[in-house]
Amino acid sequence: MSGAANPVAPAEITIDEDPDRLAEFEQRIADGVLIEPGDWMPEAYRLLQLRMAEHHANSEIVGALPEGEWITRAPGMLRKLALTAKVQDEVGHGQMLYRVSQELGKSRDDMLRDLVTGKTKYHNCFNYPCPTWADIAMVQWLIDGAAIMNQKTLADGAYGPYVRTMNRINMEEAFHFKSGEDMVLTLMSGTKAQKAMTQEAFDRWWTIALAFFGPHDKPGAEDMPAMRWRMKIERNDSLRQRFVNRFAPAAIDLGLVINVVTKNEQGLVTSATPDEQLGVDESTGQWSFTEPDWDEFWKVIRGHGPCNAQRLALRRFSYEQGAWVRRAIAHGAVVTPPAA
Amino acid sequence: MTMQDMLNDLLANVVLMHTDDKLMLGHMQSDWTGLAPILEEDIAASAMSQDDLSHAMILMEWLSEKYGLDVDSIGFRRRAEDYRCCDLATVPDNFDWSVSLVRRWLLATFSSIGIDRLATTDDASLSARCRRIQDEQAIQLKYLSAWMVRLGSGTDESRERMQTALELLTPEAGMMFEPPDATLSDKDACCSDRDDVFQQWIEIVSPTLRDAGLTTTFELPDRQATGGRRGIHAAHFIEQLEEMTEVIGTDADASW
Repeated sequence: MSGAANPVAPAEITIDEDPDRLAEFEQRIADGVLIEPGDWMPEAYRLLQLRMAEHHANSEIVGALPEGEWITRAPGMLRKLALTAKVQDEVGHGQMLYRVSQELGKSRDDMLRDLVTGKTKYHNCFNYPCPTWADIAMVQWLIDGAAIMNQKTLADGAYGPYVRTMNRINMEEAFHFKSGEDMVLTLMSGTKAQKAMTQEAFDRWWTIALAFFGPHDKPGAEDMPAMRWRMKIERNDSLRQRFVNRFAPAAIDLGLVINVVTKNEQGLVTSATPDEQLGVDESTGQWSFTEPDWDEFWKVIRGHGPCNAQRLALRRFSYEQGAWVRRAIAHGAVVTPPAA
Repeated sequence: MTMQDMLNDLLANVVLMHTDDKLMLGHMQSDWTGLAPILEEDIAASAMSQDDLSHAMILMEWLSEKYGLDVDSIGFRRRAEDYRCCDLATVPDNFDWSVSLVRRWLLATFSSIGIDRLATTDDASLSARCRRIQDEQAIQLKYLSAWMVRLGSGTDESRERMQTALELLTPEAGMMFEPPDATLSDKDACCSDRDDVFQQWIEIVSPTLRDAGLTTTFELPDRQATGGRRGIHAAHFIEQLEEMTEVIGTDADASW
């Protein structure tokens, strides 16, 4: 799942490099040449790429948690096997992305410590609850669907190790999406109770999926380093529009209603009414829709979402309970950091 | 053929013994996915959980063909007393990697003997299925044994943790050898020769324990002692079964 939709806020980036070398570097990117770890790169490029890969890696291993909670409750052998393999894939994606990040100059342990102490972040969408099995279906269908949409553009980026990793990840994400689609279809073909549970889960996840791509782009985003250096390929708003164009009709075909919702502090829906903005312009194929609640988005990003504390606590617990194993392998070199 | 026909059959009970060990162990261990101490080990441990669940499914498919029951009915819809796993499979590990590892290693060793023996049965379909399992089972055992030694001989802290986990689980280990049916004699059917299986098991685990610097004494319980193999389960098994069937149990007729 996951994807690095909004990791690299390009605040305070200083590019202090020899102009000729910088120009040559940017020309290579413009020519479609992949940048490799041994190549010369501006320090700001290395830093931004590291931030992006690290955030993405963090998102993968935190993203394993909400779905991981349902492995032991998965209904049936095939679902149990598929979900275990799916969550394992996410951990594997994390491992690959940490390797990319390590090559950019930060140690694995430093990254894991920074994650559990709250110094670095992970994708916002994992700070919401999954109270039913249908939520797992929605995560695999909507969130993995959104991630694929974003990551396919990232696979067209400029940093070789990250691009190759995206290509590998995207192949597995395609399976996850298929699994999610199958789960949603099964539930929506099921009993009245299953359909109601699925609609409720859809209500919880539709707006989270819309916000997945990050806030509205700032003016001139294309000229900022992240896009100029092809770390970020497509604008957030463009990705969001493509997502709605793809998933709104699919949801309606399945019998789901796209609602505008309000939620309580626990992330549970307290009211849902059909989205009156929803509609398609037949001449362009573009769907209109109600924006996600951006106040809620920023609140969750700042650490006050329904599950921020829970996710971080479990990640930290995992880090701490495994420290003795890492010490045994490293013969005592690993220490646990103080709590944030 | 019915569920009861399956439960009345001696060979089916022996198969269920291994099926349910693997089902419940895979279920317990899969809970670690995303939470293991090292990312690479997380991936490996999850792969082993999937192996165990897949092995259980391979054996359930044999039962399914023989008794006309669907796999999920066998895996998820039996009464608690009809499961034949030993209690060791569901002993809580409280996310302590040492307990998880020792539990897995003890059971993998037992399973490898049982699957090897079942691979020699006259039932061609069953023996073929067991031969499919054997290679993965052998890899698991090799991998787990290496970790037993690595952590047993790692640091003082890791050795102490592994020794504590071993002592915690040793009393449970003997009941792995409980015959799944009281009418099975020591010479009956494959893998029910309790003393012989126990001896073979001891010969496999002892060198690993020696190399790991860990010590314990395993004993066979009294033949009359009854436990999970005959459906007398500990509370932790019941809790796990309830969790495993929480969703599927909400509607007996629904498709998931």
